[in-house]
Amino acid sequence: MSWTQIFTDKPWLPEAAGEVPDTDTGKAPGQIALRMLLGAITILFLLFFVTFIERSQFQDFHALAGEPWQPFTDSMRLWVNTGVLLLASLCLHWAVRTSQKQQAILLLLGGGFFAALFVVLQVSVWQFLYNLGYGLAENPANSYFYMLTGVHATHIIGGLFALLLVGRKYLAGADTGVALRACATYWHYLFVLWLVLFFMLTRTPETYAIIAAFCGLG
Amino acid sequence: MSHVAIADQEAHLHHPKTFIGKYIWSQDHKVIAIQYASTAIFVGLIALVLSVLMRLQLGYPDQFDFINPNSYLQFVTMHGMIMVIYLLTALLLGGFGNYLIPLMVGTRDMVFPYLNMLSYWFYLLSVIVLLASFFAPGGPTGAGWTLYPPQAILEGTPGVGSGIVLMLLSLAIFIVAFTMGGLNYVTTVLQARTRGMTLMRMPLTIWGIFTATILGLFAFPALLVSAIMMLFDTLAGTSFFMPAIVSLGEPLEHEGGSPILFQHLFWFFGHPEVYIVALPAFGMISDVLSVHARKNIFGYRMMVWAIVIIGGLSFIVWAHHMYVSGMNPYFGFFFATTTLIIAVPTAIKVYNWVLTLWRGNIHLTVPMLFAIGFIFTFTHGGLSGLFLGNVVIDLPLSDTFFVVAHFHMVMGVSPIMVLFAAIYHWFPLISGKQLHTGMGKIHFWGTFLGTYAIYLPMHYLGFLGVPRRYYALGDSSFMPDSVHSMNEDITLAAIIVALFQLVFIFNVIWTLRKGPKSERNPWGAASLEWHTPDVPPDQGNWGDKLPTVYRWAYDYSVPGARQDFIPQHVPEEDVDYEPGGRKSHKT
Repeated sequence: MSWTQIFTDKPWLPEAAGEVPDTDTGKAPGQIALRMLLGAITILFLLFFVTFIERSQFQDFHALAGEPWQPFTDSMRLWVNTGVLLLASLCLHWAVRTSQKQQAILLLLGGGFFAALFVVLQVSVWQFLYNLGYGLAENPANSYFYMLTGVHATHIIGGLFALLLVGRKYLAGADTGVALRACATYWHYLFVLWLVLFFMLTRTPETYAIIAAFCGLG
Repeated sequence: MSHVAIADQEAHLHHPKTFIGKYIWSQDHKVIAIQYASTAIFVGLIALVLSVLMRLQLGYPDQFDFINPNSYLQFVTMHGMIMVIYLLTALLLGGFGNYLIPLMVGTRDMVFPYLNMLSYWFYLLSVIVLLASFFAPGGPTGAGWTLYPPQAILEGTPGVGSGIVLMLLSLAIFIVAFTMGGLNYVTTVLQARTRGMTLMRMPLTIWGIFTATILGLFAFPALLVSAIMMLFDTLAGTSFFMPAIVSLGEPLEHEGGSPILFQHLFWFFGHPEVYIVALPAFGMISDVLSVHARKNIFGYRMMVWAIVIIGGLSFIVWAHHMYVSGMNPYFGFFFATTTLIIAVPTAIKVYNWVLTLWRGNIHLTVPMLFAIGFIFTFTHGGLSGLFLGNVVIDLPLSDTFFVVAHFHMVMGVSPIMVLFAAIYHWFPLISGKQLHTGMGKIHFWGTFLGTYAIYLPMHYLGFLGVPRRYYALGDSSFMPDSVHSMNEDITLAAIIVALFQLVFIFNVIWTLRKGPKSERNPWGAASLEWHTPDVPPDQGNWGDKLPTVYRWAYDYSVPGARQDFIPQHVPEEDVDYEPGGRKSHKT
């Protein structure tokens, strides 16, 4: 199948009738669906980012990093969480590559465990912020932090449900090759998305001003 | 995995034995389609009643105790949101998309049947949450269907307590439902077509649904973003969209938010949404016109390009809904230009529909009447869109009934005409029975002429400066008395059109209960869906063997062929040509 067909095919011509062209794409449906889903999630976060950058240029926006007293000037907690999510991602990466079932099961469990741990640790970061007096509605920067990490965590929880379903099928001996690879890709995607979130949420006001100017929102 | 193997996967089909498994928790795309369609039509009828209530107030101000300023705004809001999202989007994609995609591309079911089932149940949940707001304290939100902040969540707006929260929650659930369904539609079209069904052999219905679904997958996130952020503003007191406000002398807790940001997000979804509704309608109308004019669709390839180009352009015209928000003139210029450019592929489609009719063997069946009616209403609505696309013309007209007339012609009446055309056209396939033609014609003429009686005068009201969204016009000096009498007439026309829909409902119920069995493929259509072994199609659609496709979906009145249509799955050697016809020419 090729998209150039829409420029070249002339299905109305008499010569076109009677042929049975090959329409095989060689791809599994799961791969296509996952790409579309990741495309939609990317747009979701892209739009959040656009509003974030726009909002960051308002007077009342106080970035969470930059000055020594601000919570993410030292973002060690978030680095720990990043490490945990990386482990989750690596576990699934290896799980789809190993040929030993025992090992694969352990790695799948590891992938699920570390992802769940990441969510728990994110909640502890919320508590840390809240205890410092950075409540949800105190400032738009805080609001964005809680909201975006919350939406990201929701996607991880959704992924955990999917992993649970696929894992059960795998244990039952079903052919789950494509589904497991899809889970791994989703995990890697969420890890990269977290890196972008981490970067976006912990910049200084000067960096936001540069990004806003670059996007024409300054 | 090969295409055909995906299309043919029997293993994925579940074979329910119980009534509940077959008709309630069903994973069969046809049952899910009917569930989607029935729910959408049910909720659409509620929205229809709401519109009549609005018209009662406008035609006969202050005559009815049960309509007050608050309830009027609630009717406006719920009518708009239900019609656009919960009726049109759900019926066109969840209903017709689900029913037609597997049958038209030649597969046994959607590629992810379980996800498809979940999609419907999430949709139903979203409808229940939405309707629950009618019973919530304070009633549903009356913020207008665009839900603009800050007023949407400020005291004084109806439904500010729970109504707006339920609305936003319902939208979020709807988007989850749409995403599950949408992933299915796109993947099924791309991956599960039967042998020989190339992209350029697909009926335009599939092209329309496919492109609209991609638009939906990429546009609904904008609505989700705005719904989530507004929920935070409402429930948690954040200030994403809420600026500093002094209400009754008291400063509110919010400060610094940007209401315009919401408008951008909303319309970044809202404009593609117009085409999420329009593109499937374009596709279906193309097929109905072609079948009932016994002629291939004129300019098939151009029609496909137009669908794809309109889909792409629909993402860069959104701010034409915001000319009155006070934007930079260059910004307005850009969006006016893109808006006018999108009229080009749209006009190409209209020309091609008319050219399909030209010298066709036109059968004035009920579906065809609705299809031709659509060409009229869509052209009228489209032409007034050309006016409103220009900033200088839009500014004075924006808050008047001219806009109401425009968008109802182009996006209310027109898709409804297509839906009726489609229901009358595909009813024999879905139910095995044909809707009564006499009642269908009465329904058509009542609806077609009646909607004109409603919306044509509204253009005139708009030119006079009659504002929209107003509960009562009072004795404004610039309005002549004719405004009030015209409003009365419009209300009468609206009530008559609503009553004509009862003829349709009666026709459906009567036909299902007592109507005679329809013959197979009564319209003589060439596309695949009419050529299943059983009509209505059984589970798995295709019996033992999937069909193989040898031609496009529009082989009507082929020169030399004895029959006036050649089904897609008939090989060239089986076509009955007259001596000297195409087959002998080829060999």
